[in-house]
Amino acid sequence: MKALKLDNLPTPKVEEWKYTNLPRAISADLVDAPVQEITIHKTRGQICGQAEDILFTGEAGALHSLRLKIILEEGAQLTVLERHDGSGAYWKNMVTEIEVGAHARLNHIRLVEDSGEGVNTNMVHITQGADSLYNGFTLNIGGKLTRHEIHAEIQGQNAELHLNGLNLLAGQQHGDTTILIEHQAPHSQSNQFYRSLLDDNARGVFQGKVHVHQIAQKTDAYQLSNAILLSQGAEMDTKPELEIYADDVKCSHGATTGQLDEEPLFYLRSRGLSEKAARQLLIEAFVDDVVEKIGDEELEARVSKMCRQWLGGVLSIHHKGSKDTKFLKENK
Amino acid sequence: MIKIKDLKASVETDDGAVEILKGISLDIPAGEVHAIMGPNGSGKSTLSYVLAGRDEYEVTGGSVTLDGEDLLELAPEERAAAGMFLAFQYPVEIPGVNMSMFLKTSINSIRKQRGEEELNALSMLKLMKTKCRELGISDDMMKRAVNVGFSGGEKKRNEVLQMAMLDPKFCVLDETDSGLDIDALKIVASGVNAMRSPDKSFLIITHYQRLLDYIKPDVVHILADGKIIKTGGPELAQELEDKGYAEFVGEAA
Repeated sequence: MKALKLDNLPTPKVEEWKYTNLPRAISADLVDAPVQEITIHKTRGQICGQAEDILFTGEAGALHSLRLKIILEEGAQLTVLERHDGSGAYWKNMVTEIEVGAHARLNHIRLVEDSGEGVNTNMVHITQGADSLYNGFTLNIGGKLTRHEIHAEIQGQNAELHLNGLNLLAGQQHGDTTILIEHQAPHSQSNQFYRSLLDDNARGVFQGKVHVHQIAQKTDAYQLSNAILLSQGAEMDTKPELEIYADDVKCSHGATTGQLDEEPLFYLRSRGLSEKAARQLLIEAFVDDVVEKIGDEELEARVSKMCRQWLGGVLSIHHKGSKDTKFLKENK
Repeated sequence: MIKIKDLKASVETDDGAVEILKGISLDIPAGEVHAIMGPNGSGKSTLSYVLAGRDEYEVTGGSVTLDGEDLLELAPEERAAAGMFLAFQYPVEIPGVNMSMFLKTSINSIRKQRGEEELNALSMLKLMKTKCRELGISDDMMKRAVNVGFSGGEKKRNEVLQMAMLDPKFCVLDETDSGLDIDALKIVASGVNAMRSPDKSFLIITHYQRLLDYIKPDVVHILADGKIIKTGGPELAQELEDKGYAEFVGEAA
């Protein structure tokens, strides 16, 4: 496996949580893959109207060691659109480092459409200064196996962190979102809002942890993961965690996994909608709630269109009807 | 119009199937309003769900026909197209779907099933505005998600709004009076009264006589333990209010 690059492996600083010392574990002569590195650096007060659009394309048989650095100095504002596609089997092993300086604002939209055989592992490290905003959104509809691991450190007061995501997975896909948010300064806010639609034998994982340090009084942290299983074989694994050392904080989390609720389905059908149309309406609404968090109409429309395409495929293959009614009854 | 014959239905529980409707027979000719009154647990809501086609209730016997068409054979959406409407006791919240989109989809789904042309945006808007005004529903409410954050009164008015817009032949109102203050009750009742016509029939399910002061029924039935134990004119509702259910239930037993 002459594939890994030593300086692309996570360090203790980056991977504070469950750290394995890979550089030490892997001997130097095993690794020689070239690292592709992209750095976006906006200086103090730079406000960018135009989004940075970056595309990472996976090539069959390749190991891609990718490194993305986004640095926003004090007061800078930027939208980054990070897109993933590819063909054939490959592994994208990616490290992302994001520094959002004081008063800086970053919108970071990830559209993951890797190939059905592609593997995409992405370790993201975010640091935030005082009064900064990080607004992240991930649409994950690709890849055989994807892991999006975020370690965010809120280092300044009054910072706002939003992590939103949609996982639309089918076939044998495995999509993992693992989050650690550290509130290291008072008066900061974090929101996690993830939704998953899982069909066939797809498997979704959501692990989200909020760590509130003792100094981080008045922290407001919220976490929500909702998953809808569209088939018998789909699986969702959820692990919410709160670790709180400050005594004046507001932290809450919620997680649901299940089929589409029968009550709204029956209500819509009693108003004339076919079972298929009712399902579609409910599922679209489920998805739209997260898409609306992007906060940019043009991008929302683009993401919404991608979701509709995915849903169109899934809903037409299934032609739900009797098969699912039976499925719902069995699961009561 | 609607003929219910010896209708029996049960629900699956952990202890096996439990029979809730034990042979209900009811004829509602076109143009008539019938009321069903009964104590809690008598099967009132089950009857409404069975008529609308909710699949957790199993029909074990009897028949229901609407203008000769076998309702029990139809899916809930087909019953809606056939002209059946249920105003829910607990209208369901549907986050993310706004009212006007919902009404538009609903009306056009029914028109499509009936082989009629879809309503264009302008006619839809006109219809919506007219009906909303009649029921005192604000434009603002039309932009909100279906029933999400609606007050009890708003939810019930919304049911009547849907009923008015879909223009069904046979309407079942399941405890539409529950959770309503007197003003909301009057609005809801006048909405229903405005729809009364020689070609429509209504079944009003209620626990109290109060609603029947505003929507005058032609016939009143008393339901107890899954059976109709007494049928009479509007005066029966008053009698029931005065004497209470216990006397009637005892009489039947």
